[in-house]
Amino acid sequence: MIDPSTLANVILGLIQAVLTLLVAPLLLGITKRVKARLQYRNGPPILQPYRDLAKWWRKESVESDAASALTTVAPALVVAAVFVATLLVPIVGQRPPLEGWGDLLVVVGLMALGRFVLAVSALDAGSAFGGMGSSREVAIATFVEPALLLALVGAALAAGSTDLGAIAALGVASGIAWYTPAVLLAAGAFAIVAVAETGHEPVDNPDTHLELTMIHEGMLLEASGPRLAIFTYAAELKLVLVAGLFAAVFLPVGMAQDLMPLSVLVAVGAALAKLVGAAVVLGVLDASLAKLRILALPGLLATASIVAVIGLATRLWLPA
Amino acid sequence: MSIASAFGGAGSGPLLVAIAVVLALATVAAVAPRSRVNPASLSLALSGLACIGIFVLGVIVLASGTPVVASAGDVLGFALIDVRYDALAALFLVALGVAGAASSVYGIGYQAHGGAGADRSAAAYPVFLASLFLVFGADDAFAFLFAWELMALSSALLVVGSRPTADVARAGYLYLALTHLATAALIVAFAILASAAGATGFSSFGPAAVGLSSTTRDVLFVLLLVGFATKAGAIPFHVWLPRAHPVAPSHVSALMSGVMIKVGIYGIVRFGLEILGPGPEWWGLLVLGIGVASAVLGVLYALMEHDLKRLLAFHSIENIGIILIGVGVAILAVADGATAVAGVALTAALFHTLNHALFKSVLFLAAGSVQSAVGSRDLNVLGGLARAMPVTAIAFGVGAAAISGLPPLNGFASEWLTFQSLIGAGGDRALSLVARSAVLLAVGGLGLTAALAVACFVKATGMTFLALPRSRGAAGAHETGRLMGAAMASLAIACIAVGIAAGPVSAAIGAVADGLVGQGSTPATAIGPAAVGVPVVGIDAVYAAGRLAVLLGGIAGLTWLVAMRRRTTRRVPTWTTGIAPEPAFEYTATSYAKLIRLYFGPILRPAREVSVELHPGTPFPRTVRYRGEVSHVLDERLYRPLHRGAVGAAQLVRRLQSGSLQLYLAYSVAALIGLLLVARS
Repeated sequence: MIDPSTLANVILGLIQAVLTLLVAPLLLGITKRVKARLQYRNGPPILQPYRDLAKWWRKESVESDAASALTTVAPALVVAAVFVATLLVPIVGQRPPLEGWGDLLVVVGLMALGRFVLAVSALDAGSAFGGMGSSREVAIATFVEPALLLALVGAALAAGSTDLGAIAALGVASGIAWYTPAVLLAAGAFAIVAVAETGHEPVDNPDTHLELTMIHEGMLLEASGPRLAIFTYAAELKLVLVAGLFAAVFLPVGMAQDLMPLSVLVAVGAALAKLVGAAVVLGVLDASLAKLRILALPGLLATASIVAVIGLATRLWLPA
Repeated sequence: MSIASAFGGAGSGPLLVAIAVVLALATVAAVAPRSRVNPASLSLALSGLACIGIFVLGVIVLASGTPVVASAGDVLGFALIDVRYDALAALFLVALGVAGAASSVYGIGYQAHGGAGADRSAAAYPVFLASLFLVFGADDAFAFLFAWELMALSSALLVVGSRPTADVARAGYLYLALTHLATAALIVAFAILASAAGATGFSSFGPAAVGLSSTTRDVLFVLLLVGFATKAGAIPFHVWLPRAHPVAPSHVSALMSGVMIKVGIYGIVRFGLEILGPGPEWWGLLVLGIGVASAVLGVLYALMEHDLKRLLAFHSIENIGIILIGVGVAILAVADGATAVAGVALTAALFHTLNHALFKSVLFLAAGSVQSAVGSRDLNVLGGLARAMPVTAIAFGVGAAAISGLPPLNGFASEWLTFQSLIGAGGDRALSLVARSAVLLAVGGLGLTAALAVACFVKATGMTFLALPRSRGAAGAHETGRLMGAAMASLAIACIAVGIAAGPVSAAIGAVADGLVGQGSTPATAIGPAAVGVPVVGIDAVYAAGRLAVLLGGIAGLTWLVAMRRRTTRRVPTWTTGIAPEPAFEYTATSYAKLIRLYFGPILRPAREVSVELHPGTPFPRTVRYRGEVSHVLDERLYRPLHRGAVGAAQLVRRLQSGSLQLYLAYSVAALIGLLLVARS
């Protein structure tokens, strides 16, 4: 006999897994479409990312003759790290699909694992572009990770737990009372670093292959065929992860707690709305902001840390 | 002299004697005349055997829960060897046993391979192991200081070897000078405690410390902290570490970084936390501050290095910092009576101590293999070694991922616990607001450290093992011997195994930690969902490392199979805008770190110097020379003035020296009269 609440969580988890896997390329399509429309272009069809993946998947694989076996296994490791991380975040149900397997620190750790493997494998072919993208990625991450952790810790302190299911549950239960100054400031900090973590303007331009400006694309330059498909898919899934994490902590509405058809329907709709909303916002940012000079990035990203610290300070020092 | 009195603890006495005897034999073997068996190999093999014994002893003590006690060699009523291995000591014995056994096995291959350490100075190696073994168990100030000095001298001998170059000799000298600064601080602290207790046994120090005035206790804490933080290599006492560790033979570097600097951690926990007991909050804040500074600066300076072993040495400072963050939170929480948080924090610190012994050893051993295969440890001339040296590359990769704190490896588990203790302390109302603010800021510091460590180990792994070889030496490298491979592989497997078994391992360590902070017998509880009413025992319930590892591996393996199976892979040269790829196109260690060097410019204060020599009469360059360096603020602002002052003082004192015997006799008489006058009043 399976406990009904466990069963509900398993089924909701499966729904979330399928939904996130299916919807990930769509989000990139939406972002590109929004950006194009704002620039008075038609832009590629919304489903183009799926076609790109299918095309690359069918092609032969070309590897550098300087590369080691790492080049062959890296894409699989990166996508596994990102996908497992999404399973630790409650996106459809109010509890994460892999409940009790890991908290928000594990999610941040898995993101770091994906980054580590991607950045190392970018060095494998011995191309200058790979080294450039890789060194930029890890340098920017040194400002992103502290801000991300400080922002999430702000929410964890409010909830008294680092467990994302518990944080989401408390957020749902508190309603509007969840949005204390501490949580709002943490949300602001998270929003800033989310843009950097997903590789959008003003930090990185996902559409460029100009060597002076590439970060993420620079690391993928030596990947082709199925390996390029997997890396690109991992990046698309990363957007689902970051947007889902933001929504779970700072916008906990509509998530399902049971298997009632209505609540499941509402939950899927809410999850889709949040993810599409994130994609639209990123498209607007891409169209309306210029890329910051790479030496000016610490100014922006350190702001996120400072905002997060101010959030923590309001929690500690303001009378409750 | 009476030899051996009481033994306790489930018949472990004979094991203790056996370890001592085997180590003594190993010392003798090293200086034995060369016969059919290479004396250095025999000595290392015996040392490895002793380390297995040390590991077993540690496990027995941890499993049985009863300390092993022994006493031998009374000199004038003071026990020279008076040991008591309790649970805390046993944890360090486990680390010593594993790292020591692997290093010894590796050392056999290493010195046969032409690596350093094949001469008579090899006799210092078993002595070094014996001193480490003794220092963790010493239960008496004399025994402790004896082991401490033996440890310093034997390791210094191993650092300088028998034919040191000028640089190496300087490194050894600086190391000896600073380690004696630490010894001086400890002697004063022990003297204060011993005079209060009326005895030199550590068991009498605890009760005596309670009765001391708060000022005396503060002075004691600072003295002990200076002594042990110097040995640990924490900033600002770190200057000796990045100089001494890289020049030692690699299996000695592994032991020094993996185990010896942990004696400092052991000391702070044993004396600062256990014997002195709860103190004011600022003790913890001080340790926390030293921890954060060591972690952040250690990893930043590591990133700026392109000497592989110096890079690893700076990472030891970083990891000592992470450990001290845990220790600091524990001291802080104990001061305010928040024992649950203190238990988590101390568990994190001790767990990270064990983990660092594992991954830092494997990294140093792999660096040694690279050095002996290529003949250099300069990252800018390495590269492309993964295909020639797969075992070394994979072992280094696992160690790099572990030290970068990536799940599901062991480094992540202990950093996870450290984060939990910081968050727990930040949310605990028993702590003052200042303390809570400080620990929450430390979250940012630890996050920064983790991200910088990822950057540094992407650089170290990529520059050493990937892309095209950057020199002829790197191109001609091949895998080093089987023994070295086996030693590295077993440590890498240990990193994975401890990472996956994070739950039970941290529960065992948690029991020890809870005993020390007075938490009683409940295992350390992570402050995960506990706050929302779900009881949590151990880290298993919040972080399922084993299941995550299987799932990660499963998904990655499946993806790889589906994507790559029965598919043609064409191998072509890397596209470099149409010309033939050359190693000169690759990013170097220096260029890789450039952005971080600029981002953290205010701390690192980089200086660069580019000189261009032109072909005569043309605007075309013939040679371009680049020299860049970062300045180490503390070296320049703190140690250089100190050094100048010390030399100046020595010049003054030299005036007393005339070489005339009569004058020296006069000094002696004057000193005697002076002492008698002081003693009379």
